[in-house]
Formats: sequence, structure tokens, C-alpha cells
Amino acid sequence: MTGILEVQGVSIAFGGLKAVQDFRLSLREGGLQGLIGPNGAGKTTVFNLLTGVYRPDSGTVSLGGHNLIGLKPHQIARAGMARTFQNIRLFADLTVLDNIRIASHARTWTSTLASVLRTPGAIAAESAITEHAMELLDVLGLADRAQETARNLPYGDQRRLEIARALALDPEVLLLDEPAAGMNPQEKIALRGLIRTVRERFSLSVLLIEHDMGLVMDLCEQITVLDHGTVIADGSPESVQGNPRVIEAYLGAPSAEVSA
Amino acid sequence: MARESGLKARAAALAPEPMTVLKQSVLPLVAAFVIPLIFHFGIGPSVGAYPSKVLLDIGINVVLAVSLNLVNGFTGQFSIGHAGFMAVGGYTAGLVTYYGGYRIWGDSLPHGGFLGAGEMLFLVATIAAALSAAAFGYLVGLPSLRLRGDYLALVTLGFGEIVRVMIQQTSDIATDATEIAATSWPSLLWKVGGALGFTGLPFYTSLFWVWLWVSLTVLVASRLKTSTHGRAFLSIREDEIAAEAMGIPTTTIKVRAFVMSAAFAGVAGSLFAHEVGTTLNPGELGFQKSFEVVIMVVLGGMGSVSGCVLAAIVVTVLPELLRSVDEYRMVAYALTLILMMILRPQGLFGLREIWEIWPFKALFRSEAK
Ligand SMILES: Nc1ncnc2c1ncn2[C@@H]1O[C@H](COP(=O)(O)OP(=O)(O)OP(=O)(O)O)[C@@H](O)[C@H]1O
Ligand SMILES: [Mg+2]
Repeated sequence: MTGILEVQGVSIAFGGLKAVQDFRLSLREGGLQGLIGPNGAGKTTVFNLLTGVYRPDSGTVSLGGHNLIGLKPHQIARAGMARTFQNIRLFADLTVLDNIRIASHARTWTSTLASVLRTPGAIAAESAITEHAMELLDVLGLADRAQETARNLPYGDQRRLEIARALALDPEVLLLDEPAAGMNPQEKIALRGLIRTVRERFSLSVLLIEHDMGLVMDLCEQITVLDHGTVIADGSPESVQGNPRVIEAYLGAPSAEVSA
Repeated sequence: MARESGLKARAAALAPEPMTVLKQSVLPLVAAFVIPLIFHFGIGPSVGAYPSKVLLDIGINVVLAVSLNLVNGFTGQFSIGHAGFMAVGGYTAGLVTYYGGYRIWGDSLPHGGFLGAGEMLFLVATIAAALSAAAFGYLVGLPSLRLRGDYLALVTLGFGEIVRVMIQQTSDIATDATEIAATSWPSLLWKVGGALGFTGLPFYTSLFWVWLWVSLTVLVASRLKTSTHGRAFLSIREDEIAAEAMGIPTTTIKVRAFVMSAAFAGVAGSLFAHEVGTTLNPGELGFQKSFEVVIMVVLGGMGSVSGCVLAAIVVTVLPELLRSVDEYRMVAYALTLILMMILRPQGLFGLREIWEIWPFKALFRSEAK
């Protein structure tokens, strides 16, 4: 059985640094999979490869059976892959509402001319975009902040706004890059529920990068572990947790000593 | 492939009430035609010749500032060659009204009264100006896909200079009706007066035409800003990588911004070319003019339509009031620019419109919902 997102043999080098080597992944439709590894392992680089920010030196990436290699990031986004950024990248000077509405541009059918003429069709499209955005803000608990400037939001809200914005693309696959970073324990618990909720509600498949092991082990059905750009383990949370190579990668000690 | 978003079905259920369409769509358009009539038949005759001339200059500068704002403010690219597009438009329109006038009437004088045959030719000329400037906007927009910041600024600066130098190389204007009638259009294209300027154009530029184009430019820019297409422009200025990740085709949108911006600069060029008391020559439309427009945008707010309108008014009127110190104008511009960059790089109003700012907010609340 093939997954919604299939990645085979993807590699990229920056100068002499082999940042990602022979990466593989199969994300089941509706699945919630984790991507973990020590700092600098290449996790964010994998997201950049999947979303077209970097073009892999080799390998294949397909979404729902369609090849993504060679597509521009906006084409990949339109094809159904949405992401959030580890270092928050909101449209900082715009309102919370506009941050979300921008993502609907990809799904808009009205022309620039129609927008400028304010045809009834364009007015209806704008209303639809706004309604859709407000619903998403509601789901993410940000509805009362709709008119605030994004840069003025507290950190945790900014992270949730990034998720809301990604959802506005109506994606099939959602890539979350350390969504819990900088959150306090309560916010993390809420985030855990939120990820589950949105997966159900929007029938998403989720790939999650996260350093908080409690969160990853609890949420994910399947985990891929990266170290120095290569996949060192792949499987259920239990199998990965017990894998000596994973323990070694995290503790930096030979597996023999750890198990001893 | 991509999932059905349901936006279309939603929109079908949200068809606007006739009153909404009237208010949002029709009334502003009606206003765009009524305002120029008020300027032309009401304000103009009552204030007299000199203030009317200042109102023409203000209008042309508003068109320039609001259009440059599409690139520099909305999209966050830094263009400093706006006068180049203005020149392309001005010369294109001049060719149409001057040689076109000769071909039709045997001279280059204005023909017909208000909205008469001559002014219709002027309308055609202005549209041709917009189209030719837009074509150049496309050419200059293309390198902007690869260049950022200072490099893009240099390309646009270079473009403005190339246009200026090319125009200087052109040959004398033809002034003999029989000769003009016997010359083919392609060879007339080059007869636009060189460094001396394209003189003898009919004076069609009136308060009506200037403020009609002002209304249309402002209408386009402000409607764009509050629509999904305008938000795509803004997303690029905010964060290009995030914009791409959100499905915005940043390269297409950047070129579109350049093309739209250049088109309106071309319109301003046509208005400038047919105004009493201006000369369409390469010196007038050089770097200094581009710089003046940049000042307006930086002052008014990168992204604020109303801020740019206000700044265009101030930058046009102040030198008129301070005629005695005119030689220091460039110094004043440079100082303003430096101070703004240090103290308030986003401009006085930033992205906001005037009615979104505190003391005015209450005044406009009912309209701005
Ligand atoms: N554009 C680039 N040019 C050069 N090197 C890069 C580039 N992007 C990433 N790298 C390098 O690739 C390696 C992997 O980085 P990456 O950001 O993918 O790690 P990560 O697993 O996301 O780490 P973290 O947990 O700290 O976020 C690092 O050594 C990084 O310096
Ligand atoms: Mg990372």
C-alpha cells in the first residue's frame, strides 16, 4: 500500500556537507508521523526538500501519486502540501485575518480585473474567503484576535496562527516544524489536542518535527529518526525508543554502554 | 491532486445584496467620474489659473506616487526609475496626439471642446501610453525576479537613464504638414525632438482628465489592497518564502506589480506631456523626477494609498510655497529621505490608511466598519 506522501532516496548536499542522504518516508493517508533527530540532523532541510525550497540532488517525492520534483514551492503548496516554519514566518505587519486570507489566494478563481471592478462575483468570493478564514481562526481559538497585527501576538498564538494559515490552503498533507517550540506546558497540552482535532476535522495527514519527546511519542503512530542526514530508525514509537542507534544518536554514547 | 476547497460553493451562497453591490462597486465608480467634473467645472473656474495649474501638478504626482506604491509599498521591491516609465508614456502619447493630429486635421492644435474629437484622441493616446509603459514595465520587472534590494534599485535606475539617453538621441520634430503626411509612421517614431524636447503638443490636459485618472488610479490601488490579489502583493513584501509556501506565485505577482505600476506612470506621462507650462524633454523626466516620486512614497507610507496621496500633495505644494529657496529642493529631498529611513522607515502611515489611524479612526468608523 502506498501512502499519500511517498519519498524515496532523496539527498542534498550544501557544498561538502551532505545535509540529507537517501531519505525515505511513506506517510499513510490520515496518518500522523513524527520526524525526530538531534539538532542539525537535517529535519528542517527535509521539509525544505519536500516543499520545493531546495531541489534534491537525487530522489523522488510524490503527493497522491503526482511527482513534485521540479515544482516551485507555490505549486507544491497548491498541490496540497502546507507547512509551518520553525522560525515563525508570519506576514508580520498584516492582521491575523489577512495572514489567513492570503492562503486562499491559491484557491481563488476571480481575476485581478474582477477584483478591481468589484464585480458581484468578486464581492462574493471575498466574503467566502473571509468566512472561511474566520472559521479557521475559530477552530484555532484566535477569532477574537482577527484584527490584531500578527507581530503583536504572543508567541504561542503566533505558532497557532501559522497552523491556521497552513490550513487555509486546504492541504492534504500538513508539515509542522517544531510547533511546540517556546510553548509552556499548558500550551503544549492544548496543542496536542489541537493537532488531533485538525487532523480529524480536515482529514489531514500530518508530518511532525518536534523535540518534545513526550509530545511525539504520545501523538505519532510512526516515527522516522534522522541523524547526520540519514535515517537511522523508522517504526512505531516503542520500537524507535528502544532502538540502540537512536539512543546513541541522542546520548552520543556507544549503544553497548547504554544498554549495559 | 489539490483538494476541492469549497470556497466556490461558499461564494455561491454569499451572493451580495443589490445594495451592497451598489455601495461597494457602483457608487465609487460614479464618484470617480463626478469628482473630476467637480474639479473641472466647480473648483477650477472659481480658484483661478495658477491654483488650477497646481491642482493639475498635484493630480499628476498623485498618479505617480500611488502607482509607484504598487511596487515599492505593496510588493516591497525598490524601484527608483519611475520617471522612465513616465517618459515612455509621455512620448508615446505625444506621438499619437501630435502626428495623429497632423494626419487627421493637418495641424497639432487642440480640436473640439470638452470631450470633443481632440480629447478622444487624447484618451486614445493616454491608453497607448499606459500600454507601452506597461510593456517596458514587463521588461524591467523580469530581472526583479532574480534581483533584490540594492541590485533591483540599480536596474531600475539604469532603465530610467537608458530611456533618458535614448530620447536625447532622437531627431528633430517634423513640423510641415505635407512632409508629415508623406512620412511613414515608423520613421515618425524617431522624430521627437532629442534633447530639446517634444514641443508643440496640443494642450489637452485639463482638471477633468487629470482628476479622472487620479480617481481611477486611487480606485484601482485601494480596491487591489483590500482584495485577494492585493494581499498577494503584500505577502511578498512581508515574507517572500512564506508567501511561496502559502501558494503565492511570487514571480508572476512581482511582474504584475511592475506592469500595473508602469502603466499608470505612463498615464501620468501623457498627462504631463499635454499640460500647459510643462515641456516634455529628457531632462525633466530624469533621475530627479524619479527621486521625487520615491520621496512621496517613502514619506506617505510604503503601502498606504491615502498616505501617498497626502504626501504627493505636500511634496507638490511645499516647493510652490517656498519658491525662493527652490535651489535647495534636492537637498531637502535627500535630507527628508535620510531622516525617514532612520526615524520611520515604513513611512508616516506605514501600511495603514489615514482613517485607520487613531485621531481619524472615530471620524471614519461608520464607513470603515
Ligand atoms: N541552505 C543551507 N546552506 C548550507 N547549509 C545548510 C543549509 N540549510 C541547512 N544547512 C545545514 O544542514 C544541516 C541540517 O540542518 P537542519 O536545519 O535541517 O537541521 P534540523 O534537524 O532542522 O535541526 P534543528 O533541530 O536544530 O532545527 C545543518 O548542518 C545546517 O547547518
Ligand atoms: Mg530544524
